[in-house]
Amino acid sequence: MIGLEDITYSYRTGEYKALDHISLTFRRGEWVSIIGHNGSGKSTLVKILMGILDDYEGSITVDGELLDEENRITMRKKFAIVFQNPDNQFVGATVEDDVAFGLENNGVPRDEMVRRTEEALKAVNMLEFRDHEPSRLSGGQKQRVAIASALAMAPDVLILDEATSMIDPEGRREVLDILRTIHRRGKTTLIFITHDLSEIEDSDHAVIMKDGQIISEGTVEEIYKDTDALLASRLVLPFHMKISKRLLDGSFLSYDELVERL
Amino acid sequence: MLSKMLLGRYIPGSSIIHQLDPRAKILAVVLFMAIVFFANHWTGYILLIVFITVLTKTADLSIRFLFNGLKLILILLLFTFFMHLFFTKGGTVLVDGGFFTIESEGVVRGVYITIRLAMLVLITTILTLTTSPLQLTDAIERIAKPLKVFKVPVHEIALMMSISLRFIPTLMDETEKIIKAQSARGSTFMTGNLMSRLQALTPIFIPLFISSFKRAEEMAIAMEVRGYQGEEGRTHYRVLNWQWKDTFALILMIIFGIILWMIRQ
Repeated sequence: MIGLEDITYSYRTGEYKALDHISLTFRRGEWVSIIGHNGSGKSTLVKILMGILDDYEGSITVDGELLDEENRITMRKKFAIVFQNPDNQFVGATVEDDVAFGLENNGVPRDEMVRRTEEALKAVNMLEFRDHEPSRLSGGQKQRVAIASALAMAPDVLILDEATSMIDPEGRREVLDILRTIHRRGKTTLIFITHDLSEIEDSDHAVIMKDGQIISEGTVEEIYKDTDALLASRLVLPFHMKISKRLLDGSFLSYDELVERL
Repeated sequence: MLSKMLLGRYIPGSSIIHQLDPRAKILAVVLFMAIVFFANHWTGYILLIVFITVLTKTADLSIRFLFNGLKLILILLLFTFFMHLFFTKGGTVLVDGGFFTIESEGVVRGVYITIRLAMLVLITTILTLTTSPLQLTDAIERIAKPLKVFKVPVHEIALMMSISLRFIPTLMDETEKIIKAQSARGSTFMTGNLMSRLQALTPIFIPLFISSFKRAEEMAIAMEVRGYQGEEGRTHYRVLNWQWKDTFALILMIIFGIILWMIRQ
């Protein structure tokens, strides 16, 4: 379990707060979506979780242990992350090299490394592409490799920082399918960051952020019902929500509810 | 145009040369570079040509293919040839053109030196055609390991090489996109004199540089969060397997060197 307690962060002291008194809890095996427009502070939150930014106010506990200067590097091993741009996180010259990169860094013995690389590639259905170079892969395939690279590290928490925003709809569907499988296994906490409201439907818990603050929090149904927060967040609403807003005097309904009402 | 370039290209295959350990191949090429200079007589040069031809056939490459690669340095080869033709004196005078003369020694030296140069280019072309850039990087890292004693950052250089190689296609795509984007905004790249053409490249290179720096930063973060902390405590996924055939290939190269040495005059 990860607990964020009253986190505040400014990129320059005294200036605009990228994160403004954020408190959040992520439970083991949970899928938490963080939704927000550009500049809402969601990526800053990721950087703080990953220990890239460390001069924040407030406190972070990971499995009951307070995160500090000293345990930052060891704690980082509990996290793995998939970034937005599929090209800029592909370190290896081929698919399998990339998956093995993190394992090499952690000094994993070669036999184990080969096994874990294979398992991770199997989990994202990319095993047959193991010797391919990144230039021969689609965006969705590259993101799947990035997920495999993250999974190979056997993390407690997998963070996806707008991992679906630069790939085509087909690739996006594949990535979400894989996340569902990981979620079903229940071992890995998923922190899914997005600005696409239609992608959060599978999450257990969702958080809407705006200007560094949490403006709404709850289950997906609760979020979908929170009209004020959704409008304030300036997010693009999914098609069925737009219809329900127009037809049914401003209240949002889930897809099924809308079908029923109509 | 770029697709015709043979320098640094790799053609996958399953010949014995492809299967050799990249370290063996690099060492053999270095040996050959010295051996080339043993030849000082026409028999030696013929042996060299025969050797390269046999090597090309064993590597399943067509000779025409190699000569296409040679075209790239054709100017250099011709320059070398004519320099010797005109400026090496000795032997009988073949042509007397008044202010210049061509003498027999010049012709002989010209041909010999040109063959030497061509041999050097051909053997390195065979190396890169049969060895993937990744294998080459691996091999260079292992071979250069002893240099660490002199504080040469061998591992870092190898990693830099492999990341650069990996980004070549990405940056090519990006360049193409930028060219299209700038053309759509009315830039022209293929007209005007040399100066204006060079100037026209500025709107391509500036965006390319900016995006490369962005990529580099994101890459650095991605590497850091995946636990990269330099070479210490790192294990290796790729292993190179030195086998008997690699030793055998090197021995063959040494024997060839000895033969060339014996027939020199």
